[in-house]
Amino acid sequence: MPRSTWLLALPLLCALPPALSGQTVQNATLRRAQQAFDNLDYRQALTIALGSLRERLTGFERARAYELLGFTYSGMDSILKAVDAFKQVVLIEPERDLDPNRTSPKALSAFQVALTQILVIRQLRVDSVNFIGGQGAVGIRYTVTQPSRVVTRVTGGGGTLGSVRIDSTVANGQINIRWPARLPSGDPVPAGNYNVVVEATVGQNSFSTSQPIRIMHGAVDTLPHLTSLPGYTYLPETEVPPKSWRPLGLALVYSGIALAGTSALSHGDLGSASMREGGMIGGGIVLAGFVMTLKKPAPQPARGNILYNSLLREQIARRNTEIAQENTRRRQQVALSVVPLPRAGGGR
Amino acid sequence: MRAECWNVGMMEWRIATGIVLLSIIPSFHLSAQHVSIGPQIAFGDYREVSSDLHYRGSGLGAKATLMWRKFSADVVLSKVKYKPKTTAAMADFDASEVDIRLRYYVTGPVSAEVGFINRKMDPEFEAQSVGAVTVGARMTYVLGPGVRMSLNGGLLFGSKFSGGGTTSALGALQLGLGITVDALRGRVLATGDYGFQRFSRNTDDGSGALPAPIQQSLGRIGIALAF
Repeated sequence: MPRSTWLLALPLLCALPPALSGQTVQNATLRRAQQAFDNLDYRQALTIALGSLRERLTGFERARAYELLGFTYSGMDSILKAVDAFKQVVLIEPERDLDPNRTSPKALSAFQVALTQILVIRQLRVDSVNFIGGQGAVGIRYTVTQPSRVVTRVTGGGGTLGSVRIDSTVANGQINIRWPARLPSGDPVPAGNYNVVVEATVGQNSFSTSQPIRIMHGAVDTLPHLTSLPGYTYLPETEVPPKSWRPLGLALVYSGIALAGTSALSHGDLGSASMREGGMIGGGIVLAGFVMTLKKPAPQPARGNILYNSLLREQIARRNTEIAQENTRRRQQVALSVVPLPRAGGGR
Repeated sequence: MRAECWNVGMMEWRIATGIVLLSIIPSFHLSAQHVSIGPQIAFGDYREVSSDLHYRGSGLGAKATLMWRKFSADVVLSKVKYKPKTTAAMADFDASEVDIRLRYYVTGPVSAEVGFINRKMDPEFEAQSVGAVTVGARMTYVLGPGVRMSLNGGLLFGSKFSGGGTTSALGALQLGLGITVDALRGRVLATGDYGFQRFSRNTDDGSGALPAPIQQSLGRIGIALAF
């Protein structure tokens, strides 16, 4: 074996183990072929792998045998044979992919060529999503390896839905479609288990694959009513004015005017005016003024705060009216939850 | 005699009695109406003609107040027993007074008021009975929660005296001071009032005009029930 082939084979050793994860090879012949490949004995690996294909193998083991042949032919620079081997791999396991970081460029290019020579739909994915019926859509994406007519349908639902075509296009490569999950009448599809089926046809060749999904119905969350607006708080509607000497001052002024007026208006012929009566009442008023000055002033209505609170209450009431209307609308809606289910097998 | 009594205001007495009765009838309901009524202790100083006729005394009184919208009315009755303070004054006498005021709120603290007073003396000729119409203004200020004070002043027109005599247009005037303190959540009021009256009266017995002024200072302290 040339030195370059040896060097080429080294990354393959690293690439194989991930391919085997999850399932193991039970067939002894295939295991011997794998061991020969691991020992870089390509000829023996080739002979034994071809021999294993004549034995009874599981689908996984058969795909593994062809993959081993693909790697071996790549290592032996038999690209066409490697492409054929990889085509068999893809036909058995359409989702099979090679790790570009751990696979030799020769094997990768042979694998890519193999993909372009057969018609398969790979990597069918349905997004797990929650949305309100009529206001969202389920994302569906897949890859078609050859230009072909691709029809996407949804089937199942316990017979209520039948088979609904959701997309039909001529395409190649990755396709993204969005399904609103609505019936032709516009209503949300009923809850249940469905299958998203993608069929690709070109000439006499066709391929189809499917992805089971489960659609569940739920109530749409309603909005709670507001008792306050974030960032806005009610202000006190009364405020205590600062303590003031005004009551005492005015009591002195009023009493002074009364007593001075009495003295000034008194008739001169009648002698000096009596201040006893005015003095007693005036003294009482001054005393009351002094007490009121010392006393904590009574809270006064704060007009600005009252107006502010009134506006705030009005805003909250208006918002709650809107929320009530929105909740009424939401109670008539359905929340859809779409969850992809595990697939039973590959496509055909 | 009948004519003299009429001259000093028998009609006013009747009107005053009517207003007091209307104020205290419980079925007299008006929207936003406030009524208060209560007794008072009165004490006064009375002078007439010269400083030699000087009396002081005390007695009882009653005051009723009615408020309705911008209107309010005071009816004050008092009876003071005056005793001489000088040797020239020889005998005691009783002064029975009715003071009725009707006010209308104008603006700020100011109200305009009209009314009349009537004071009767007993014995009749120991002092001058007097009746007059009052026109003036009142300023009210709230000193604090439940405490109000007022200052009023005005002229006394159309003065009539039991002994005759006249006053000029600006010769008779009055001045007053008052305080009201709420108690028991405004159900009971403590009241204090001061009133000063001066009549620059002139008499003429045929020898020319002679000054015979009359002056009274009257203080009243009492309580009132508010409805």
